[in-house]
Formats: sequence, structure tokens, C-alpha cells
Amino acid sequence: MAAKNMSMSLRALSHLLTYPDAELRAHLAELQQVLHGEHALDKARLAALDALVATLLAEDALDCEAVYVDLFDRGRSTSLHLFEHVHGDSRDRGTAMVDLGKTYADAGLVLAPGELPDYLPAVLEFVSTQPPRQARAFLGEIAHILNAVHTALQQRGSHYATVLAALLELAGEQVHSVEIAPEPDIDEAWQEPQAFDGCSTRGQARPDTPQTVHFVRDRASTQIGAAK
Amino acid sequence: MSHFLDRLKYFSNPKERFSGEHGVTTGEDRTWENAYRDRWAHDKIARSTHGVNCTGSCSWKIYVKGGIVTWETQQTDYPRTRADLPNHEPRGCARGASYSWYLYSANRLKYPLVRGRLLRSWRDIRRHHDPVDAWAEIVESESKRRDYQQVRGLGGFVRASWKEVNELIAAANAYTIKKYGPDRVAGFSPIPAMSMVSYAAGSRYLSLIGGTPLSFYDWYCDLPPSSPQVWGEQTDVPESADWYNSNFIIAWGSNVPQTRTPDAHFFTEVRYKGTKIVAVTPDYSEVAKLSDLWLHPKAGTDAAVSMAMGHVILKEFYFDKRSPYFDDYARRYTDLPMLVMLREHTTPGGDTVMVPDRYVRAADFADHLGADNNPEWKTVALAEGGKVVLPNGAIGFRWGADGRADQGQWNLEAKDARDGKDTKLMLSLLEDEAHGAETARVGFPYFGGVKNPHFTDNPQDEVSLRTVPVRTLPLTVDGEQRDVMVATVFDLQAAQYGVARGLEGENAAADYDDDAPYTPAWQERITGVPRDKVIAVARQFADNADKTKGRSMVIIGAGMNHWYHCDMNYRGIINMLMMCGCIGKSGGGWSHYVGQEKLRPQTGWTALAFALDWIRPPRQMNATSYFYAHSDQWRYEKLGLDEVLSPLADKDAYGGSMIDYNVRAERMGWLPSSPQLQRNPIQIVKDAEKAGMDPVEYTVKSLTEGSIKMSCTDPDHPDNWPRNLLVWRSNLLGSSGKGHEYFLKHLLGTSNGVQGKDLGPSDAKPAEVAWHDKAPEGKLDLLVTLDFRMSTTCLYSDVVLPTATWYEKNDLNTSDMHPFIHPLSTAVDPAWESRSDWEIYKGLAKAFSEVCVGHLGVEKEVVLTPLMHDTPDELAQAIGVKDWARGECELIPGKTGPSIKVIERDYPNLYKRFTSLGPLMKSVGNGGKGIAWNTETEVGNLADLNGKVLDEGASQGLPNIDTDIDAAEVILTLAPETNGHVAVKAWAALSKITGRDHTHLAIHREDEKIRFRDIQAQPRKIISSPTWSGLESEHVSYNAGYTNVHELIPWRTLTGRQQFYLDHPWMVAFGEGFSTYRPPVDLKATADLHNIRSNGNKEVLLNFITPHQKWGIHSTYTDNLIMLTLNRGGPVIWISEDDAKIAGIVDNDWVELFNVNGAIAARAVVSQRIKPGMTLMYHAQEKTVNTPGSEITGVRGGIHNSVTRVVLKPTHMIGGYAQFSYGFNYYGTIGTNRDEFVVVRKMAKIDWLDNEPVATAEQA
Repeated sequence: MAAKNMSMSLRALSHLLTYPDAELRAHLAELQQVLHGEHALDKARLAALDALVATLLAEDALDCEAVYVDLFDRGRSTSLHLFEHVHGDSRDRGTAMVDLGKTYADAGLVLAPGELPDYLPAVLEFVSTQPPRQARAFLGEIAHILNAVHTALQQRGSHYATVLAALLELAGEQVHSVEIAPEPDIDEAWQEPQAFDGCSTRGQARPDTPQTVHFVRDRASTQIGAAK
Repeated sequence: MSHFLDRLKYFSNPKERFSGEHGVTTGEDRTWENAYRDRWAHDKIARSTHGVNCTGSCSWKIYVKGGIVTWETQQTDYPRTRADLPNHEPRGCARGASYSWYLYSANRLKYPLVRGRLLRSWRDIRRHHDPVDAWAEIVESESKRRDYQQVRGLGGFVRASWKEVNELIAAANAYTIKKYGPDRVAGFSPIPAMSMVSYAAGSRYLSLIGGTPLSFYDWYCDLPPSSPQVWGEQTDVPESADWYNSNFIIAWGSNVPQTRTPDAHFFTEVRYKGTKIVAVTPDYSEVAKLSDLWLHPKAGTDAAVSMAMGHVILKEFYFDKRSPYFDDYARRYTDLPMLVMLREHTTPGGDTVMVPDRYVRAADFADHLGADNNPEWKTVALAEGGKVVLPNGAIGFRWGADGRADQGQWNLEAKDARDGKDTKLMLSLLEDEAHGAETARVGFPYFGGVKNPHFTDNPQDEVSLRTVPVRTLPLTVDGEQRDVMVATVFDLQAAQYGVARGLEGENAAADYDDDAPYTPAWQERITGVPRDKVIAVARQFADNADKTKGRSMVIIGAGMNHWYHCDMNYRGIINMLMMCGCIGKSGGGWSHYVGQEKLRPQTGWTALAFALDWIRPPRQMNATSYFYAHSDQWRYEKLGLDEVLSPLADKDAYGGSMIDYNVRAERMGWLPSSPQLQRNPIQIVKDAEKAGMDPVEYTVKSLTEGSIKMSCTDPDHPDNWPRNLLVWRSNLLGSSGKGHEYFLKHLLGTSNGVQGKDLGPSDAKPAEVAWHDKAPEGKLDLLVTLDFRMSTTCLYSDVVLPTATWYEKNDLNTSDMHPFIHPLSTAVDPAWESRSDWEIYKGLAKAFSEVCVGHLGVEKEVVLTPLMHDTPDELAQAIGVKDWARGECELIPGKTGPSIKVIERDYPNLYKRFTSLGPLMKSVGNGGKGIAWNTETEVGNLADLNGKVLDEGASQGLPNIDTDIDAAEVILTLAPETNGHVAVKAWAALSKITGRDHTHLAIHREDEKIRFRDIQAQPRKIISSPTWSGLESEHVSYNAGYTNVHELIPWRTLTGRQQFYLDHPWMVAFGEGFSTYRPPVDLKATADLHNIRSNGNKEVLLNFITPHQKWGIHSTYTDNLIMLTLNRGGPVIWISEDDAKIAGIVDNDWVELFNVNGAIAARAVVSQRIKPGMTLMYHAQEKTVNTPGSEITGVRGGIHNSVTRVVLKPTHMIGGYAQFSYGFNYYGTIGTNRDEFVVVRKMAKIDWLDNEPVATAEQA
């Protein structure tokens, strides 16, 4: 099966995730045209994206911007920086970013200063320059993060969730809700267990056992408290 | 058999095995290993550090790859120490090692943000108006103003461009200056030492526009006022390496391994030399585990322990036997031989007793003892044979006209200033065999019986009566000659400690088991510490000091200083150190490592930071009094003066309330004011000119008549509100804002958790301050915060500016913990749109220069300056206190009131001035701490180094200060500590005043000039300078007071010596002439809430203390997930097993702590570490992370400061009196908070407040 061309759709979705300032709002109609024109997404998805665009156009500009800042400029669960979800504040993050930057460089593209390599709109712009098959594969690799952000956005009732859903669709992945523990559960995640078992002993298991890499915050630890 | 055929001749086998099958050679592709090698590969390493509030000052390697910071490791290239002293490295801790992840964290601020509602108004109006008029329209409309004030803290930020935010802030500043006056713009930033250029950027901007930088050291309550009181020194301490020279260390309230992580190795290492370590902490802290002995007095009663130790030391080392070392030290370096007048006091019972009054002065003698210069500022003693002598070194010798007769006598040579002959001063009048012993009954105030429901008292007579050897001298007092009874400080001090001397009716303690004031038995009842432990520690401490000539040390922690009666906690210990001759001695002394962090190149920095190169004097304000007044905490004051007055004081003369004393202090020029006058100071100059008067005379006349009022008399009047506040390098609202909820209510005007009511109609109101029935809410028009992360303060701000992190800017860093200066360096460019503080303020200066045109030009204004320490103004009122506003004297600026100067500001040239080194450095020179020198050469050097300004205009030809590195070079070039030539000049200038040559201390490093690139290569040891009282040398470690003792430079006090006795009338009235024990004050914060608003769970009352933590530096790192994982992931409090049991709390329960000031929601850590009766919450945990709603307030549970409120102390307001004179961060009111009690109970309902409109809920 020949992969569908989705380059322009990716470009448009990338823009949709950026700050809704005057410039972006001026180009929203254009983005809509491109999305409808490329036929990379199904009708229902396009309708949902139209709804997002309509909201951005209809609502007060500063309100839209404030919503965006609240969603994406602070807080972790809806961060558009992918490695926030994978590495968080850990040491691996820097190296991961360096590697991603190298991936761009290998493809002949240089990331302009001002953004980090793992910024989702930047990633999407990069993917849009890749041939369809590679693009799809790349999206597939980050699908679990897209799913996590999608769920977080959906929980907040944000129209932006649909952009993430669209990306998952382009990746050929199912949109499935990643369970994000409600606040009291997060809270219990910090609870110390009865015996010294709560600190992650995973990853330091016996030799020969595979070491699972967890990309999304682990649910198991939150259940320790729940199982009590 | 031969292997001939086995071996290949023409090929080699890549898998050939050797060494009997143990080895194998393979030639396969190993490029896959590069992945592992690259993991640790990097493009470059930059040197930087973590630079706002950590005293560590550790140099770090920052690894950069592909333009991204990948990790950091500790630098290991500090210059070596001398033989037999461990090296400094490695320095660093887990906090610093996790910093790099702040750069890319989701919490990082990426763009300038403005509160949406404010920006909407701004853009609407700005379209039709010039910026300043646009701002006027917003803030002059109450509805527009309240529109955005009310939602402070509730989200709703939008991004804006730098151009737009700069214009908005500059317009707000310009409008405020034009309408209300420059001093309505203030700024807060702490601890410049850790990134001094970043601090200087903001303070330079403020100083040029005439705004007010606010102090931090006193506000943080890290300033121990006892240090200026006893030594005339803000804080000066041994470096941590000097711990290694000590033979006996008491860690008193200082948790060294936890809070001084990079230095703790010296502490552990010295134990291997046999040094004894005693820990004194109320909980089983980390330092307790590290020590030989752990004493745990009930928190807040430490002064009782130290008084008892002082009792033991005095008795055993001054009377049972006389240590020759202590004896000699006391005579030369302390005020113990000085004479104090006694005055008659009639007790309520009609009894007449004598009480200590003031030091005898040369002016009290008919002939002034031959002193023409400042005779009322020269103290007097008796020498052998009972002869009256005028010892060198009193403060009167320090100041006067050049060429005066007593020039060069400000030193500690044991000489009589009148004839220059050697003298041995008398400690006790009993030594005077010629005159015999006369005695008198002398009363001392005793506070141990003061009732506080939470503490055990030890009831004794309210006035302790003791027999003291005295002598009568014919003196001229108040113009009449009469016989005056005098005594030495030593005799008074021995009597006060209750040491028996065999005098008749002396009423002293019979022995250590006698429950009389200040005996070991007496303290046991109050503190719970066994008397034998106190005796043993005191004896060993003193015995060691006696044998080693002063190598006994006390490392003292801020916790001791955070109590209302902190001065007693400190002076009790300082007395021990002075008695044992430990101050100024290697391995001995007083080690208070809190908050101030020692900006070593200080005099180079002040010029840059306060724009002294352009305008003098700058405005400065003590933050505690500022916030007490402006966040209206004074309106809730419940501590009465009668609760803190001495039983010997005249209660009628000392009535009123705390803020009244602050007003008097401001009026008399003791403390600074901000704002200063109720009329715009620019307008005052115009009015004066219109009236044809000199503006200073006009101001004096108007103040005297009352036609101009000082702002402090009516802080709630809109003309006196602070209007704009800039916060940078600080989390004022999330960490250091005592009385947090009052800030929210009155200063910010937003939702808050204040539970108490202010003074009602039936309460007595302050006498000096106007009372408004309705307190204002929302005084601030604009709150701007610069930060790299979304802190609590940012959440409450109107404009948030993203700053460069500590790896993205160039700056300088020094500490009191080690003698090196090293940099912060730009490892990578500031991420996203963030900018360094220097660039941000430079941009603001540029915007201001543009928007002010048409509104502000070259303007003149009057500036009020308090009577400053280390200037001749510190000799203001020698005897008695006279207030011009009460008609007791004339208002004489610089004498009975603040100095008043007319200043000219050039607003349109603000940017040009900001970016160049102004002409005053050349024409007036530089200096500090009372010494001045010429800097012409250095200005020339800077012009060569930084280049000259080429653009035409106000700054053409002056040295450039364009970049942060230029600014750093200004500091380094002008400071004696980093420029050997300046150091020699500074020592020479001091030599003139002391009459002794000190230049030998720096001459061997004269040619050395430390530049920014030098310290990027390696940390450099600074050069000794007279700004500090210790030496940087190859022979001794830095130790405070070292040059006082070894170079005979006087302490900067009234007597020139270390003072046991403080004779200012207010000190005496408030019972602190001599150190004593005073129980914590009752702040009455729980009575209205305890067991009243029940949630069904049991409530306990606990003392609330806030020590430093292991997982963060204040609030920094407390939102870092890695650090959070180590400490339960959110706010926690610690509580004892006993109290937990009573309240039905089990470990990890959510609990609430509350009182009238507000509420905190946190998890409980139930631990044996904590003693019953107190709870501990680490300073400072952000409420942005995992904090649920409070059941009491209905809003999000607050920060640790939500249950606190500042309470002022009048003795901290004294000014114009030698060491009791104002200096920025040197003296003033302090933000104590540990006398506070809270109700603690288990929460019934955990509400995360997720459904709040515009959620403030942070995702963790």
C-alpha cells in the first residue's frame, strides 16, 4: 500500500499547535484549506479541526492566548516538548535532545535557535519534509507520547486534543486513552510503601531479565497505595 | 609435533586465541561502541555555578553538546590550600547536580507573559495614547485597576513581545515617578554575592530612576542584629576551612551536613584530629548524629543555656582561677574595663536601687579629658592605680577634620590617648587597692518569670538585686557638676550573671545547683537540658580556649536568629566567645553562615549597583519595616509594648505600638523611609523654587510645620502606597514573604487566607499613624517578576519576564564559606526568549529613556538618607533621644533627622547612563566602610579594557558598560579584593585613621589584577582588604575579627571594642543593656481558632519552625521532580509521635496547620526525630506543587509563611548612634517568625480545587 502524502497536513497541524497570535489567526483559513485539500485525514477529523479553528477565530484573541499559555507554556502533562513526557527532569533528556538534533542534521536540516529539538511543532515540521513512509514511521515512534498528551488535553476538555488525534490518525495508530491518574492518585503515587518496595527496583532486576523502559508515568506505583 | 602447518603464513586469523585460550583477538566492527562513547562526549565545558540563594558557591563544569546542556559535574581545580589543611574540593551537592534540568523543564519560563486582563486594557488604550498617558488611564480608573488586580494568582497570562512589555513597564514607572514620585517604584532582590551583576542590573536601573532597592538580609531574618550591636559589623565569619583549625566546636542550631553540604567535609575531617563536637538542636537533626554530644533545649530557650554556660565560664575562669589569656584579652579587646554610670531608680515598693545607665564619656569631665574632638563619643576607663584614662579606639577618634590632634588614635593599642603612654585597664574596681572597695545595690531586669502559655517559666524577682563594686567620680552631667556613681562593665556583668565574689549582700548563686538566675540548675527548669551537661560543655569549651588561645568555635544557625528575642540567643553565645578570647583567633569565633553570603568585591560592586558613578546618595530601604507597613501587617498587631519593656523602664515614656516606634525612628533619621514624603519629591523642589527657598530648607520648614508629612505616618493613604514593585532573583511571595496572606490581601488585592480581624473600634490605635477604618486592598499598580521558572511570585505578578538561567549568563559569585571568586558563564545562549538580568534591565532603561520624553526631563528631587553607619553621621545623638516632631529639638538634617539632599536625574539619558561608568568615580572616588580612596587610575584602566563610549551625548568618552562582562570588569577593577593596587590604596587610607601601617597586608599582591577571564580559567583567591576583618593569607584561614585583634583596628562600635554592654536608652529600656534570657513572645494567633471551627478531628497546638531542607535551596528545586521524589513529592510537615497520637494523625496523613494569619495544607511525617510541642516545615516548599485546598480558608493551602506575621522590635530601629546606625542590610528591623504557634489537625476532606475557574492547579 502506497503511503498517502501528508506533508502539507503535517505542516498545518504543526502551525495549529503554535501560539495563536495575530499572525497565526490570519492564516487559519489557509490551514483549513490545506487540510481539506490534502485528504490525508478523514471527514470526522477534519470537522473537529474545523471546530478548533472556528473557536480560535470566534473567541476573543487574548482569551485564546491565555488558554494556550495555561495549557502549553507551563505544567507538565500537556507539555509540547516530547521528552518532558519521556525523560522529565532526568539526565537522559539532554542526550536525547542531542540525538534528535543529530537526526535533523543527518537529514540536512538545521534547527534554528529559539526552540528545542523535541518541540512537537518542530518535530512535525521535520516529519513533513520526510517521504510519506518515513514520516508515518516517525509519527508511529512518538505515538505513545501523542496519546498521553491527547488524553491530558481531553481531560481538560480542550479543543486542541483533536490535533493530537489527527496526528495519531496520520501515524496509522489508534487513539486510545492513556490513563492519567486523577489528582488524588498522583498524590498516592508519592506514598511510601509499608516495606521498602516502592522505590523502583525495576531496571535493577536480576541479570538476563529484560529491562523495561517506561515512557509514560508508571501506573503500577500508584496502585501500591490503592491496593493497601 | 611441530606447529609448522598449523600456522597460517599469508593470513592472520582475526579470531586468533592466545594465552591458553584466555585471550582472543577479533577484528570485527566495533563502531557500535561509539554510541556509548558519545554518550559522554561533549563539545565544550563552561564554568558556572548556582547563583542566587545558595551559600555553597561551588564551581561546576557545565557540559554542552550540540548547543544543549547535557549535564554538570563538580569542578576540582580550586587553588590548593597550605600543608596540613584539607583542600576545598569537591564542592557541590545533589541540588546543584540536578540544576541543568531546569533549563528545559516544563516549568521554565519561555516568553514574556502579561496578565491578559491588563494587556487587553493596555492595548485598547495604547492605540490612541502615548505609553505614559495610556498607563495613567488604566490606573486612574478604579475599575480598570481592580479588573486585573483581583485575578492575581489565578492564571490568565498571555505572551507579549519584549518591546511591548518593556514599554508597558517603563510607562508605568515613568507615570509613577511623574505622579507620585520616584520612591514609589521599589525593587526586591536578595543576596547579590551569588550573582552580583544580575543584582546590580536591577538596582542600577532603580537607583538611576530614583527608585528604592529593598534590603533582604534583615527581611529574611538572617541578619543577626546582635552582630552590629556587639561588633559594629553586619556579619563577618570564619571560612569553613577554619573549622579545621578549631579544637572545640559547638554547632548550635546549625545543621551543617544538611545545609552546608559542600563545606561539611571540614567538619567531619577535624573530628579525626580529636576536636570535640557538640550539637545543640531541638530535634535529632543530621548534625546531632555527627556529634559527640547532643543537647536539645526546648526550641526558643537557647539563651538560657548559653547564659548558664557563661555563668560557669565567668566563675571558673575569671574567679575560681584567673586565666591569664582571658584576662589580657578582656582588657584589650572588650568593653569590660569601660566605666558605666549608675542612676537611681525607685522600685514600685519605694526602694531605691542603682541601675546601669550609659558609658561615661570624656565630655562628662570638666576638662573633657583634653579631648577637643567628639568628647561625647569617647569612652573612659580606669587604669592601674585608679587613674582615669581615655583609651584609644573609641568612635570619637574615628571621625573629624583632617589634621586633628587625635588623628591616628583610632586603634586598639593599650594606650591612654592623652599622653600616649601604655596602660593596663582595670577590669574590676576591686583591683583598685588605692581607693578601696565601695559597693552599691544594683538592679538588673529579669525576664525568666515572664509567662507564656507554651513555655516553662522560672519565677524569680522581676529585678535581680546584686552588690557591685562602684566608685564615685565628680562629673558634669546635664551642665551641672555632681558626684556620679560608676562601675566597670566587668563588675556589672559578673553581678548580672549571678557569680559570687564574696561581697556583702551580693545575692549571688550559692553554687551550680542553686536555682538562681543563670545557674545551670536555673536553666534546667526552662530548657530541660541536664545541668551537668551544661557545666561540662562550658568548662571544656573554656578550658580548650584557655589552652589553645581561643580555638573554640560556635557554628550558629539561622533558627536561633528567627525568634523575636534572637539577640539574646546570639549574645549569650557571643558573650561566651568573648569571655574565652575566641573572636579574631584562628579556629575560634562565631560562625553564622546565613543569608548574607559575603559579596567580597563589595566596594567595586556598590558603585555599579547603586549607580554611585552618576548620582549620590542612592535610595535604600529596610524591607521588614516596608512590608510591615505596606502589607498592613501592623493593622493586626497584638504584641503590646508592655510585654517587652524592662521592669526598670518608665512605662509612660514607652507606650504606643510597634509601628509608632518605627515612625519615630524614620523621623529621627534612624531608619530609612520608602516612600519618603507624602508629596512628590520632584514637586517639592519646584514648590521650594517657587517659594524662593533652598529645597532643603524648604523641606525642613515644611516638615516642622507639618505642611509636608512623612509617608510613614499614613501608610494607607493612596499618596503613600508603593505603586510599582520589581522582583528579580527572588521568590518573594512563594518563599520569603512573611505574612504571605497579608501580602495577598493588602498589597496585591487578591484572594487570600487571612483569618484574623484587624484592630477593632475598641482596640487602642497607634499614636503616630493615621488609622483608616477600611484598609486598602491592592496598593500595587504593577508587580513585575523576573525568573526562569514559574514560581509562586510569578503566578501573582502582572508581568513575568523570562530570565537566563545560571548556565546562560555571565556573572560573578563569592561566598563567606571560602575565599575564592569564580564566575557564572554562558554555557549556552538563553533558551527561548529569555534574557540575562543585565540585558533585561538594559532594555528597560532604553524603553524608559524613550517613553519618558514629554513627561520627565532633567528633574531635581529631594532624597532623604538615614544617619548611615561608617559615616560621620553615626555620631548623631550621643546622649539621650530627642525627637524634633515632639518639639524636643530642632530638625537638623543629618543630626536629629535624616540627611536631605537635592539630586538631579536625567531621565531621557537613562540608557546612556546605565551603559557607561559615570564621572563621579573620577571626580569623587570610591570607598566603603568609612574609608575613601581615589580611583582615577582604575577608571582609566576600565576605559582601556571595556572601551569608551563613542556615541555622542551624555556618556561620550566614558568607559563602556554594555555587556554583563563589562559590568563584571567594573566590579573587579574597582574592588580592592580583586585589584591589588586598590587594596594597597585602601589599606593606606585606613592607616591614616588608625595611625598604624596596614599596607603590608596587601603589598605582596599589589600587581595582581583579577579579570573575568582569569576566574573563568580557575577560581582565584581574593586579596585582603580593609572592607573585611579577616585576612586572605598563606598562613591563616580567613577568620572574622582577625585584623581587629592582630592589626589593632578597632571594632566599629562606640567603644571601639567588642561590647558586652549596650547603653543606648532604648536598649536599656527594653531590658537588653546586658544579655539575658527572654522567653518567646506570645503572638496570640491561635486563640480565636483553636477548637472553634472543628472538622471532627482533634486539634493540637504546636510551635511552628521552618529550618532549611536537604532537597532544595529554599523554593528552588522544590518543583524539580527528581528532588521531589526524594521527599514525598509535595509539602510536608514533621511532627512528633506523641503529638501525632494525641491528634490521631498517622504518618503521611494530610494535615492542616492554621492560625489567624492563614493556613497550610501538607502531609505529616511522624517521626521520633521531633520532640513533642513543635512541628517543623522545611523552608520553603512551593504551593504550586501538589498542594490541596485548605478547609479553613477555602483556597489553596498556603506556603510556610501563610501562618506567619512579622512583628517588629524597637531596639532594631535605633540609629545615629555608633554601631547602632543604619546601613543597607546592616541594621534594622528583622522578620522574626519562630515564636508562632499553629493549630494542627488531620484534614477531613482533600480537595484539589480542580474545578476552579481558570485553574491555578499545577500539573505535577
